Amino acid sequence: MTDTTLAEAAYLNVADPDFSIRSQQVKDARALNWYAHTPYGLAVLRYDEVQKMLRHPKLRQGSHLWPQHNGVTEGKFATWWCNMLLCVEGDTHARLRRMANPAFSPKLIADLQPKFQALANRLIDAFIDRGECDFIAEFTEPYATGVICDLLGLPFEKWRDLADIAGDMGLALGVTFKEDLPKIEAAVARLFAYAEEVVAEREANPSEDFIGMLVNANRDNPDQLSRQEMLDMIVLAIFGGIDTTRNQIGLAMDMFVQHPDQWALLGERPELAKAAVEEVMRTRPTTTWVTRGATEDFEFQGLKIAEGTTLHLWGQAAATDPAAMENAETFDITATRKPHFGFGGGTHHCLGHFIARGDMTAALALMAARMKNPRYAGEVIWLPDSGNTGAIRMPLAFDKA
Amino acid sequence: MNIHVDMSICLLHGQCVIAAPEVFSFAEDGNLVWLAECDETLRASVEAAADACPEQAIVIDG
Repeated sequence: MTDTTLAEAAYLNVADPDFSIRSQQVKDARALNWYAHTPYGLAVLRYDEVQKMLRHPKLRQGSHLWPQHNGVTEGKFATWWCNMLLCVEGDTHARLRRMANPAFSPKLIADLQPKFQALANRLIDAFIDRGECDFIAEFTEPYATGVICDLLGLPFEKWRDLADIAGDMGLALGVTFKEDLPKIEAAVARLFAYAEEVVAEREANPSEDFIGMLVNANRDNPDQLSRQEMLDMIVLAIFGGIDTTRNQIGLAMDMFVQHPDQWALLGERPELAKAAVEEVMRTRPTTTWVTRGATEDFEFQGLKIAEGTTLHLWGQAAATDPAAMENAETFDITATRKPHFGFGGGTHHCLGHFIARGDMTAALALMAARMKNPRYAGEVIWLPDSGNTGAIRMPLAFDKA
Repeated sequence: MNIHVDMSICLLHGQCVIAAPEVFSFAEDGNLVWLAECDETLRASVEAAADACPEQAIVIDG
């Protein structure tokens, strides 16, 4: 039992789908103390504490407990989840991470940029003359999925299926996990079936791309990469980059709809796109929290934390704390900022972040040039504002440049 | 070759420790320690570490 009798901290019912991690209640809780209690354990709300806990020696990556926290103890999703890169530690994690790193290297970005731009332009071409679009279905989904297809050598024609699968699997990362379980399980089954197909194709026609490299590694040295690990990694590589990027670009547009002066500025100065991505991820990340678990009893800043405690590090709350940086609550793509936590940190720092930063930079720069005065043309449908958040429908109007 | 880590941008993620454990490690106090000079045989590992650093804080010289 975590001993908190001496400290005054708020209770935040973040498991409620109507709870907003950006609410005044959270700001008040953050002002009251560096942590709050939640149905899952503790929420860490302030910048320095989040930064320290991302890489604390007494903490491990804590997401392996997420299915359990949601009453899910078995099934295809839970099995894959607990065995894939994010949720493993120690030598297993290091071995898998070393194998995956080169496929997501910053060195690839220069060659990928023209592909990102070509894809973004093609998607924009399809709706630019209408002056409106469903920004998620017509841009963020095909763009995020198309980037993954390019990266992994998958046919673009597959994008709709993969985006649907990712969208359903993504429900597992939010607070409606349990009720959406049948949909999630069906999606995982489809993705594993597709991974088996792609593996068979690479076995017949060996290649040096990421999936080809995994197939070769498993064939030549199954001790270094088992068949199951290979399949789990492929499923992660496909799923991991679709929903997150789909959501994050949608959230970026939401910020710019709220701040038209910033969008106009970006349109005039496309070199600000890289900083714009960082500022969006600071103020409106899709990944609103990352998870840690205590591996033993320890004390942190006077708080006794018991072994097994789940800590959610609320990156969005921490990085927008006025106590952490000047004008922290202002969205300003020209400001110098401390690093945000949208990609997590430590040994489980997002694997695909160089790719994500590259493709989001390309998309924002192009859209700011081609689509002026973006505004909402109907009701935006949002995922719950916690866990991994984002819009699933975004009717957007704009003026062609 | 010589290895430099820009500690003004290092955020102690530890991706280098995973990629090249022979060269990078965390000390008891949580700080990063590394071999400032090392053998050519470790080049592939060190380059992998420099590549993997999320902050791109590692510079290889020579």
